[in-house]
Amino acid sequence: MEQDAQLVQQCLQGDGSAWEELVRRHTRRIFNICYRFTGNRTEAEDLSQDVFLRVYRTLGSYRSAHGGFATWMTSVTRNLLIDHYRRTKRDRATDSLDDAMPVVENKESAGRRPDEQALLGELSAQVQVALSHLSPELREAVILRDLQQLEYSEIQAVLAVPEGTVKSRINRGRIELARILQQMGVRPS
Amino acid sequence: MNWTCEQTEQLLTDYLDGLLPADDQHAFNLHVNSCERCTPLVSSVMHAMSSLRALPELETPPRLVYNILDATLGPRETVSGWAAFLAWVRAFASPKFAYGAVSVAATFLMVVTVSGSINWKKPKLADLAPSNIYRNTNRQVHLAYARGTKYVSDLRVVYEIQSRLRQDNDLPTNRENTTPESNPTPGRTDGSGPASPRQQNRANDVSSQLQVLAEEVPLLSGKLSLVSSGAVNLLINGGLGGR
Repeated sequence: MEQDAQLVQQCLQGDGSAWEELVRRHTRRIFNICYRFTGNRTEAEDLSQDVFLRVYRTLGSYRSAHGGFATWMTSVTRNLLIDHYRRTKRDRATDSLDDAMPVVENKESAGRRPDEQALLGELSAQVQVALSHLSPELREAVILRDLQQLEYSEIQAVLAVPEGTVKSRINRGRIELARILQQMGVRPS
Repeated sequence: MNWTCEQTEQLLTDYLDGLLPADDQHAFNLHVNSCERCTPLVSSVMHAMSSLRALPELETPPRLVYNILDATLGPRETVSGWAAFLAWVRAFASPKFAYGAVSVAATFLMVVTVSGSINWKKPKLADLAPSNIYRNTNRQVHLAYARGTKYVSDLRVVYEIQSRLRQDNDLPTNRENTTPESNPTPGRTDGSGPASPRQQNRANDVSSQLQVLAEEVPLLSGKLSLVSSGAVNLLINGGLGGR
């Protein structure tokens, strides 16, 4: 975190290599948040690029005293994702769960048997589909807590809502996700 | 404390994240284990959570970082013409490249020198032609092989001679040990007796003939004289032993 703050200072002094380092440190995390929220690789890439563009333009407004750079960046990402969600709401097809065709992901599952790998790939795809059926408020809360493993206080800073609301959204998000997975026929073994 | 299904649903996240006080956790467990509605709920939410956490972290797309850098810092500057050429040349000035180049050059010089392609007293550009290098290397290899073969062959001859001499030296001793000689022959190689006058005369005759031949062929004189003296010794000690 201290290194991030130092790199930000160097960026503000016009050091291009410091910005490059910041980009390399955070691209993967931001891309994963965008992908889990949209469920689409191309959209996730475009959104990640938009996030960094906005961060670059508003870097001067970042104050390390208000929290870590990663949290601030996640907050920018979340705002862009919500904007994107609202912008594309009309265009989005209202797929039913029955029509949802899970796509098997290319997983990092070295050392697993092919049948296990196929099962895990299928489960990942089903979970991704189930995530996309959550409301954006519940989805972002679940992604930040269970995928990004952020603390409640960090999620509170990102979403700019009270801690009780954070807990409530995470709780409802998990229960809703379990219900959707059950509807899709994914049950605990 | 009466724990209700509503409480279970509301505090499920606190329970799963370990934020529930010990008393509440105990009551929660008691209720869930005995409630037909809450048992599958907790089980399915725990499964959903574990499935979420098992989702793999995706790799960054290869071009994404460059696209971001291009979009923020602007496209990287590309140089052309003389500037590009100078930049290309400058790239070779790195110590790593210099070290590699010196190593390659040293290896090349060693190979060329060993192959005998270049006469360092009168170096010619044609010596560096690949066909010449190949031919000379091939020649050197064949010469080295021939020398090696000859050396081994010479060693074999010397060994053969030595073994025969040893054999001859050993024979009388053995005979003495087994059967006593009735008529000991003079001039044996075991040094037990000098050569007979007749054997010495024949050896001298061969030696003189070889010396005459050496005088007739001056170039070979040195070698022949050596050969002659060696041959004479051989004849005296072994060949004319009277066997």
